[in-house]
Amino acid sequence: MVSEDVLRTHLQELRRGTVVVASLVALRRPDYGYALLQRLSDHGFPVDANTLYPLLRRLEDQGLLTSEWNTEESRPRKFYRTSDEGESMLNRLLDDLAAVQTSITGLIQGVDR
Amino acid sequence: MNTLTDRYLAATLRSVPAQRRDEIATELRASIEDMIDDRTGGGADPTVAEREVLTELGNPDVLAARYADRRLQLIGPTYYLVWQRLLKLLLSFIPALVGTIVAVVKVAEGSGFGAIGPGIVVALHVAVHIAFWLTLTFAIIERSQTTVDLPGWTVDQLPDAPVHRGIPLADTVASVIMLVLTIAYLPFQHYQSWVHGTDGENIPILDPALWSFWLPALIVVLAASAVVEIVKYRMAHWTWTLFGIRALLNLAFSVPLMWLALTDRLLNPALGERLSWLADADNRNVLGATIAVGAAVVVVWDLIDTALKTRRQTA
Repeated sequence: MVSEDVLRTHLQELRRGTVVVASLVALRRPDYGYALLQRLSDHGFPVDANTLYPLLRRLEDQGLLTSEWNTEESRPRKFYRTSDEGESMLNRLLDDLAAVQTSITGLIQGVDR
Repeated sequence: MNTLTDRYLAATLRSVPAQRRDEIATELRASIEDMIDDRTGGGADPTVAEREVLTELGNPDVLAARYADRRLQLIGPTYYLVWQRLLKLLLSFIPALVGTIVAVVKVAEGSGFGAIGPGIVVALHVAVHIAFWLTLTFAIIERSQTTVDLPGWTVDQLPDAPVHRGIPLADTVASVIMLVLTIAYLPFQHYQSWVHGTDGENIPILDPALWSFWLPALIVVLAASAVVEIVKYRMAHWTWTLFGIRALLNLAFSVPLMWLALTDRLLNPALGERLSWLADADNRNVLGATIAVGAAVVVVWDLIDTALKTRRQTA
């Protein structure tokens, strides 16, 4: 029986990169931090708030997200949206994710590439 | 207003770059309030919900580090190995070198064996300084944006695979240290034996008359033994030639020692003045015989042990 700790570490490693992909996909529709957190979690991407909020900032700094303040509602909220640059990088990432899936399937079935 | 949220924001923003502080503050406050609202909407008490949300966000210093993309380590994997190698290299010889120089200078100033203390203290200070400044330098490099171009690793750097050694390094080091300490003891006991005469002057344990020939001769034999230990380590195994030299040196040390002990010439006659037990000739003979037998047992045991090792390693 694998120890829970080891399992958790490996799952974390496996999931780490997918948060960026999931965020870039989800933010094709503009959204603010907490709403995005809930959407991701509803779609099976549970993310810690203290990971997601700084991550959005970083993606914005890298030019993969654009942002806009919305002051019409009860409290000012920063809405993020996937930029064109983010979109093209997302496509590369999705291709790679698919390639990983294909490779794993091939490996499981024992088929040579 | 000094709610938990205010305190949390203040703690987080303290270490976030100033130019984005306000923006992060507004966004983070809205996020926290969103999270609290979500919980109170589900019927939770606002104070409890606030505590829960802030607990979930965790240590503000960690959150701030994530916002600032700051490293939570003193020296990371990029530089750790270089730091470690440099530290070992510098510590391996600089403190000892400086300590020795200081001790030598003190001796030249005439402080005799009192020079050992300052030498050790200076060596320790130097070691602490090296460790501190080197670590500080690397911690700064780790935090600066400049990347230091480290030479990459190549296969040519591989050290030779260790040869199987019949002579462990620890044994050699222990033997050499023992020999050096013995050599150091001979002059040391002359000046500082902790036996004092009636007027407070120091009484050497060994007969000062022996300094005319026997003690210098024994020191030469001990020094030669230390050299043989090092040669033996370099050769990595015992040979019959080495065994012969070792046997010769052992005998060259213990035979004079036994002879001096048995003829009552080893110990300082002046000791009898302070230790009445030694004033009696019979007692001195018993002590001499004990020393001689002890030396003989050590020599015989060492010769047998060495012979067995040599036979095993030359077989």
